[in-house]
Amino acid sequence: MIQVRDIRKSYGRLRAVRGISFDLPQGQVAGLLGPNGAGKSTTIRMITGALSPDSGSISIDGFSTTRQGPRARSRIGYLPESAPLYPEMTPRSYLQFRARLCGLSRSDGRRAVDRVLERCWLRDVARRRIGHLSKGYRQRVGLAGAMLADPPVLILDEPGNGLDPTQIRETRELIRELGRERTMLISSHILAEIELIADRVLVIASGTLRADAPPAELVAQASSISSPHVRPRYVIELRVPSDDRAALVDATAWLARVPGVERVDLAASPRDGWARVTALPDAAHAHEDLREAIAGDATSRGVMLRELSRELPSLEQAFLALIESAQDDASAERAA
Amino acid sequence: MSTIAIALREWRSLFRLPVGWIVIALFLLLTGIVFAYETLSPGAPASLRNFFSLSGFMLMVVAPAISMRLLSEEYRMGTWEVLSTLPVRESSIVVGKYAGACLFLVSMFLPTLAYVAVLYRFADPAPDPGPILAGYLALALLGLFYLSIGLCCSAITSNQTLAFLATLMTIFAIHMASARLPALLPEPFASIVRELGFAPRAADFARGIVDLAHVAYFLAGSAWFVLAAYIAVLARRWR
Repeated sequence: MIQVRDIRKSYGRLRAVRGISFDLPQGQVAGLLGPNGAGKSTTIRMITGALSPDSGSISIDGFSTTRQGPRARSRIGYLPESAPLYPEMTPRSYLQFRARLCGLSRSDGRRAVDRVLERCWLRDVARRRIGHLSKGYRQRVGLAGAMLADPPVLILDEPGNGLDPTQIRETRELIRELGRERTMLISSHILAEIELIADRVLVIASGTLRADAPPAELVAQASSISSPHVRPRYVIELRVPSDDRAALVDATAWLARVPGVERVDLAASPRDGWARVTALPDAAHAHEDLREAIAGDATSRGVMLRELSRELPSLEQAFLALIESAQDDASAERAA
Repeated sequence: MSTIAIALREWRSLFRLPVGWIVIALFLLLTGIVFAYETLSPGAPASLRNFFSLSGFMLMVVAPAISMRLLSEEYRMGTWEVLSTLPVRESSIVVGKYAGACLFLVSMFLPTLAYVAVLYRFADPAPDPGPILAGYLALALLGLFYLSIGLCCSAITSNQTLAFLATLMTIFAIHMASARLPALLPEPFASIVRELGFAPRAADFARGIVDLAHVAYFLAGSAWFVLAAYIAVLARRWR
C-alpha cells in the first residue's frame, strides 16, 4: 500500500534523509521511531506529499506522490504533529470544510462528519470554537479530520500528544480498531505505545533506516549490539545479615564473581533482612541463561534466595541501543 | 468545488476575526466622513469623485491588510501541512484564497452603495451614472491588482508583517518607478516603464473614461501576480 524507494532529502548542507526504503502492505500498522532530528518528520512529510524527495520515489496505493499528487493524497488521512487547525472555526465547520476538499458531496460530507464526531468523542464540543478547546480535544479534531474521507492509509504523527492518560487509552483503542482495516504509519515518542499497537517498528536515526522488524524481533536484533541496554538483567532478592549497606557489599560480593556476571547493582534498599539487587551479564554471556550458575553458587555458599528472574530488554532498551550505535556510526563517519 | 470551499472559508474567516470588521469599519468611517462633508455640502457637484479617489488611496493599505494573512497565516499556524496533503491542487488553493479575499473586498464596498442611493435621492439634477459605474469598475480592478500582489507576497513568507510591508512596498515601487523613471530613461524604455504604471489609468477611470486597454492591464497584471503566487506555492514542496 505504501512503497518507499531510496528517498533522500537535504536542507542546504544538512542531509536529513539519506536513502530510506520500505514497503507497508495493506492492513499493517507500523510504528516510526527515532530521536529528535533523526529525519522522522521529513520522512513522514515526504510520504504525505507535503514535501517532494530530492531523489527516490514514493507510491501510495500505486499512485506516485510526485507525479500523481492529488490521487496519491486522496488515499491518505494525515494528522500532523500538534494537530494544526483553524482556531476561529468550530469542529463541525472545520470537518465540513475538509470533507469538501476531500471531494465528498454535501450529503456524504454531512454523514462522514457525524460519523467521525461520534467516533472521536467530539459530539459535545462540535459547535464550540476550536480556539477555545483543550489540547486533547484539538488533537481529536485533527484525528477526526484524518479519518473523515475513510482513507485506506492513515499517517499519524504523535497522536498521543497532549492527551491525558484516559484519553491516551481511548485513542489507543481507537487506533487499534482503525488498524484492523487500514494501513497505518504512526510516529510516537512513547515506545510502550508503539509496542502495544504496531505490528512492525521502523527505527530511523541520522537519516537512515536502522531497523525494520516486529517489536519482539527488534529486541532480539538489537541484542546483537554490544550495548548494556539490550542485555538481559537478573533480578535477585537475597537474605542479608543486616539492613546495613556496608554489610550488603560483603553479602553480594560472591555474585560479582559468578562467571559471566559483569556488574551487580542495588535495586532497592534492604528491608527486614532482604536485599534486592540486579546482575548484568557481560557481552559474551548476554545470550546465556546464568540463573542456574547463580542459584548453584548461592546454594553452595548457603545464601538464601527468594527471587531469581531473568528480564529481557524492552523495546525502549532496544531502541536506545540502536540509536547509540547509529550515533557511533555517524561520529565515526564524521571523523573519517 | 474545492476552490469555492476555500474561497468561502477564507471570506467567512475574515468575518470571524477582528481584522475583517476593523478594516470595514475604518474604511466606511473615513469614506463616510468624506462623503458627508465634501459631497453632501450645498453647491458641491453631484459626483462621487472624492469618494472614489479616497477609496483608491485607502485600498493601497486595506488590500495588503486583507491579503497578508492569506497564505502566511497557513504557513505560520502549520495548517498548510494539512491543506497541502489533501487531494487539492495548488491552483485551487491559490485561486480559492484569492477569490475569498476579492469577495471580502466586494463585501466592504457593498455598503457604499448607500452613498449612491443618497446622491440620487437628494441631488438635483440627478448625477451622471457613467462616472459612478466607471469609478466602481476602477475600484474593483485596483482591488484585484493589489490583492494579487498581496497574495504573491503572502505566498513567499510565513511572517504576516513582512507580507504586509512587501505588498505595500511593491505597490509603491510600481507607482514611483512608472512616475519618476521615464524622465531618466532613453526611449523606448521610458514609454515602456510609463505604460507599466497604474496611476494614470486609474485617473482615467475616475474621469469616467473606460478604456479596454486599461481593463486588460489590470486583469493581466493580476493574473501575472496570481501565477507568481502559484509558482511560490508549488516550490514549497521542493524546499
